[in-house]
Amino acid sequence: MKDAQVDILLVDDSQEDVDLTLHALRAEHLANSIFVARDGEEALDFLFCRGPHGERSFELPPKIVLLDLKLPKLDGLQVLKEIKSDARTKTIPVVMMTSSKEERDRFLSYDLGVNSYLQKPVDFDEFRKVVKLLGMYWLMVNQPPVNHAADNLKNETPLAAKQGK
Amino acid sequence: MSVGIGIHPELLIVDDNPADIVLAREALSGSKYSVQISSVEDGEEALAFLNHREQYLNTMRPGLVLLDLNLPKKDGKAVLAAMKTDPELRCIPVIVFSTSKLGRDIARSYELGANCYVSKPGNLIDFFSAIKLIEEFWFGLVIAPPRGE
Amino acid sequence: MSSAGTKLGALDAPKAKAKLRALLVEDNQLDAQLVLRALRQDFEVSALVVQDEAAFKLALHTHNPEIVLADYNLPNWKGMEALNVLKREGMDVPLILVSGALGDVTAVECIKRGATDYVLKDTLARLPESIRRALHERRERLLRRQAEEDLARKVDELARSNADLEQFAYVASHDLQEPLRMVTAYTQLLGERYRGKLDENADKFIGYASEGALRMQVLIQDLLAFSRVGRNGSGLAKVDCNAVIEEVRQTLTSSMQESGATLTHGDLPTLWGDRTQLTQLFQNLIGNAIKFRGKDAPVVSVQAEKSGQHWQFAVSDNGIGIAAEHMENIFVVFQRLHARTEYPGNGIGLAICKRIIERQGGKIWVESQPERGSTFKFTLPLGDSGEPAAQARDGEKHESSEPALGEKVGAPA
Repeated sequence: MKDAQVDILLVDDSQEDVDLTLHALRAEHLANSIFVARDGEEALDFLFCRGPHGERSFELPPKIVLLDLKLPKLDGLQVLKEIKSDARTKTIPVVMMTSSKEERDRFLSYDLGVNSYLQKPVDFDEFRKVVKLLGMYWLMVNQPPVNHAADNLKNETPLAAKQGK
Repeated sequence: MSVGIGIHPELLIVDDNPADIVLAREALSGSKYSVQISSVEDGEEALAFLNHREQYLNTMRPGLVLLDLNLPKKDGKAVLAAMKTDPELRCIPVIVFSTSKLGRDIARSYELGANCYVSKPGNLIDFFSAIKLIEEFWFGLVIAPPRGE
Repeated sequence: MSSAGTKLGALDAPKAKAKLRALLVEDNQLDAQLVLRALRQDFEVSALVVQDEAAFKLALHTHNPEIVLADYNLPNWKGMEALNVLKREGMDVPLILVSGALGDVTAVECIKRGATDYVLKDTLARLPESIRRALHERRERLLRRQAEEDLARKVDELARSNADLEQFAYVASHDLQEPLRMVTAYTQLLGERYRGKLDENADKFIGYASEGALRMQVLIQDLLAFSRVGRNGSGLAKVDCNAVIEEVRQTLTSSMQESGATLTHGDLPTLWGDRTQLTQLFQNLIGNAIKFRGKDAPVVSVQAEKSGQHWQFAVSDNGIGIAAEHMENIFVVFQRLHARTEYPGNGIGLAICKRIIERQGGKIWVESQPERGSTFKFTLPLGDSGEPAAQARDGEKHESSEPALGEKVGAPA
């Protein structure tokens, strides 16, 4: 349904990493709907409801954007800049997830207002753990800025149960 | 987690309810990241702490701030605004931690630059879980902005 | 006219005459005198006589007449014009035409236009009776108007009182949450910290306290949700019920998976309603259908059909059913049919459903037999013609001043 809320916008051009991420998220039942963009332009079209995503609404942003730094067409920092400098999108939480260790990238990201900055682990198991923690934090603990009335009726699984207590 | 680029294990809790501060400390006691916790009970104290003013001349800048919204003297939103417009303070991640579930409080917090917004849970188990997740994510996983000082 | 001394004198004594303030519109002196004489038979008359509009208007205010007696034809004016003046001045004073031969057609015309009666100048004896009747009708009219105003005022007071109560319920439950949160958290912390370290009863006592606090939290949240049905919601809009069911399916994913439930629906209508409240309505009903299941996996179905001026919905399940004697109770706030250990919940879900439906102008009831499943039926007004059929009392109130419904932490994916 074009009106459905997307939980995560995943922006990554590495098929392997995308597969890993999707797999990890689904295994933990953390996200109902995930949209994958392969490059910066597609990500921005999605968020700004234009081009092939002209039917989307600004009223239904994703709960979080998982953004890689190195992207074709428009790199992660530029995407971040666009998101954080427009009033319609600046409150969408953006988590930078990248293999870069560059201090400059970190500095610029935080300066542009990234909500958090993570390093992509190389190890398969570590990767899965990171995605799980990330998902739990941003989809279950965090309150996204746009409060959909229907969201507030969801009070099924207590957080502790989810953590396996 | 590589040493040196994680969030510095110093947490500043800004909350006018001492009972909530105690709960947070309890949740973090025995923390595997050895998080050092400082706390202040109003907005002006918070800014004094962050700017090394008055009795806070020698404090360390926290790596993370847990900020309640309803504070005396200067409220949470004012503190948030002050932090995020100050070039020295704006990179410090701020988690708004509040009992308020009002849509406008949440939206406004994000607008002012909060990194995230967590609703204070009403029972112990969920409260502890939330704090532990915050600890695990921010002190265990997140890469910090490079420290200028 | 004397009755001094005799016992029977009282019967002979002339009746005290009712006072009457009359305004005559008459240019003929003699006719005016005749009319007044007829009046004085029955009334103690205080009268003014006028011949034109200006004098009439002035007399209305200075003399404040109870009755107007007007001739039909005057050199400078028409008697019936007096009616227009009365209307313009907003004065409810009966007007009786006192005229020469008028002709039935004209007479009826005059009455249609607002004259109370007409009396011919050669049958003035009828006049007092006609006046009495006119005054009586006027009194009745005033009484009725007064009753209507009283009713309107009472309705207003009631509405305000309801709003106050709702406000109170809301504020009370909202403000109670914070101190309760402290009690809950700290009794639980005590329980954890000192388990086995105090005397043998301590653990038990602390356990009771924290369970009580936890239960109270849920009760207050439920009360809050219940009291908010009147004020919260997304406002009226076109709502596609099929989409709502799909949303509810997403929300209930966990419990559906856990119980192996299947949820189907027919072709449901799009109607005018409050989306938030309708979502909550379906979520409660479908959630219940899953919760109160028997040995078999729950099979839940939602259907709708037109029934007169309404849509009639049916949510049916194959669960444990409800006995006839309980059917009224289940919609009452906090009424539960089972022990807390058998089925969780506070008994507010159906009360909320009932409130939502009744606010939108519908009815809800249940058809069921123990162990044979239940079908909850409810009606909602049609209103798919592009206009709201039901007006929610507070109209477009959003969550501008209230927190959002329910607990967010722990929201499942």
